[in-house]
Amino acid sequence: MANWANLKTLGFFDPIKALEKRVPGFISKYADKEDEFGFKLETFARWEPFFRFCYEDYFKVDIRGLENVPSAGPALFVGNHSGLLPVDAGMLSVALLNHHKSPLLVRYLVTDWFFTVPGMKDWVTETGQVRATLDNATRLLAKNEFVGIYPEGLRGVGKTWKERYRMIDFHPGFVQLAIATQTPIIKVATVGGDEIFPNFVNIKELGRLIKFPFFPITPGFPWLPFPLYMFPLPVRWMINIHAPIKLDYPPEKAHDRKLVLQIAREIQYDIQRDLNKLLRERKSMFTGWDEPDDA
Amino acid sequence: MTLSHLPKLLRLSLRYRRYIKNANKIEQPFGFNVRRLLAAQPLLGFLYEDWWKVQLKGLDRLPADQPALIVGNSCGLVPWPALMLIYAAMSHKKNPRRINIVADIDWIEEEHIRNALLELGVVPYSSANLKQLFAANELVAIFPEGLSAVSKPFAERYRVREFDWTRLLPAVEEGIKIFPMATIGCDEAIPNILSFDNLKKWLGSPIFAGTPFFPWLPFPINFASLPVRWSITIAKPTSYEVNSDRDQIENAAKQQCRFVEGEIQAEINRLLRARSKTIG
Repeated sequence: MANWANLKTLGFFDPIKALEKRVPGFISKYADKEDEFGFKLETFARWEPFFRFCYEDYFKVDIRGLENVPSAGPALFVGNHSGLLPVDAGMLSVALLNHHKSPLLVRYLVTDWFFTVPGMKDWVTETGQVRATLDNATRLLAKNEFVGIYPEGLRGVGKTWKERYRMIDFHPGFVQLAIATQTPIIKVATVGGDEIFPNFVNIKELGRLIKFPFFPITPGFPWLPFPLYMFPLPVRWMINIHAPIKLDYPPEKAHDRKLVLQIAREIQYDIQRDLNKLLRERKSMFTGWDEPDDA
Repeated sequence: MTLSHLPKLLRLSLRYRRYIKNANKIEQPFGFNVRRLLAAQPLLGFLYEDWWKVQLKGLDRLPADQPALIVGNSCGLVPWPALMLIYAAMSHKKNPRRINIVADIDWIEEEHIRNALLELGVVPYSSANLKQLFAANELVAIFPEGLSAVSKPFAERYRVREFDWTRLLPAVEEGIKIFPMATIGCDEAIPNILSFDNLKKWLGSPIFAGTPFFPWLPFPINFASLPVRWSITIAKPTSYEVNSDRDQIENAAKQQCRFVEGEIQAEINRLLRARSKTIG
């Protein structure tokens, strides 16, 4: 729970030192690394406590299958996207940073839209995100980094309340990437994100007018004044990480469109199936899941 | 409708007559009775055309005279999606065909209900029965979610439960085409709003639904339903390699089962997203 001891880890003056106290492995891994994509450890360390607060105290994320994540990259995380503000990526990052045996940084591929918002660009790149192009992703994987992809894209973020946890068809580019670079794929199913901002209607026309991917109508947005409309509901989250799958195809097969689409669909269906199962087991939105029997 | 349509109409009606005649002639080892089906046709037609206003896409994909397996998501106490499929397939003008619903009906001990189901085209599930139907070039529909999905609570509507892969095994062995079929509308037409776990145990029945109508109202009205619009899509057949090795067959069946389940769920998601009008 949130208490005064937690506040000390915020590190107002020296965020890197505060982070080093808690996860020394992470700092030693990434402190001296040159990064061509603009990752800055200081910005990352400054923002990490906020997301950790969401993870531990607000959404109280349950995480399963952390042992499936290998200690050394490269690997490709593929998941269902959710939440109007895509905090699901942040939650996965916090989990892998704080609870994995060898703390790691996930480099998410983000859409071009973030780079058009003033002030957003620097924050997004400095916390480790990379503009989504095939070239960038290949370069990241060549450096044995962990790359996160949400193949639903922006459409997946703007799902309405009625469509929650109903996945939109995956863009198959990630399979092409995985086959071409011979990278294992790790499926991630996230429950909770679609309910933090109940999006009743999506007024696309208004969104287009202000160059937003969508214009949601939620209980808070756009009625309440600025910071208030950004408060999410305290929904219990669950992140389920599956075992990595190695695609046994030669790199030439990356251009076999039929095969790539088939594999992308299979991965999408597996995540959807897991979502259905997790939703069925959930007691309620705000109380989450029972402890597994063996725990 | 003008006079020029008359020859076509005549031809179609003759084809329909021939279908009825032939349907009566073929050997019916499982108790199918075309008279019973024709007696039920007006009711099914009313539900299909007027009450639920079913929009069915992809019926043309079904083969004209080869065997095929249709795999669907089940919903509700009465297998309405199956009956709607039977009605749609029998009244399809170009290619009227009979559909065999292969399902577990051993738990139904009441003779009249059981007989009525058998006569409408339901076949008790067994691997041998399935293979016999395939050998006779019949269309077969299965709903492999099993009985647990029949009393799915309303909150889980249109979320497909895990399929039983052994149901697909006979088809994969024979190399039969598998068509995924997604249905929306049924879970809201007969919403299962209460569950009676204890009553189920006490009655010894695997399913017992609590709909706005079901246990409360007197007999014919308790099978009523809301006039929700239905859409059904029969998707493209899946592709798989036909093998003779036992292990490979089983793996293919497991893989097919997961894939078909995913296809159905994805198609349900698409249908729900595209739906503009729920009722009326």
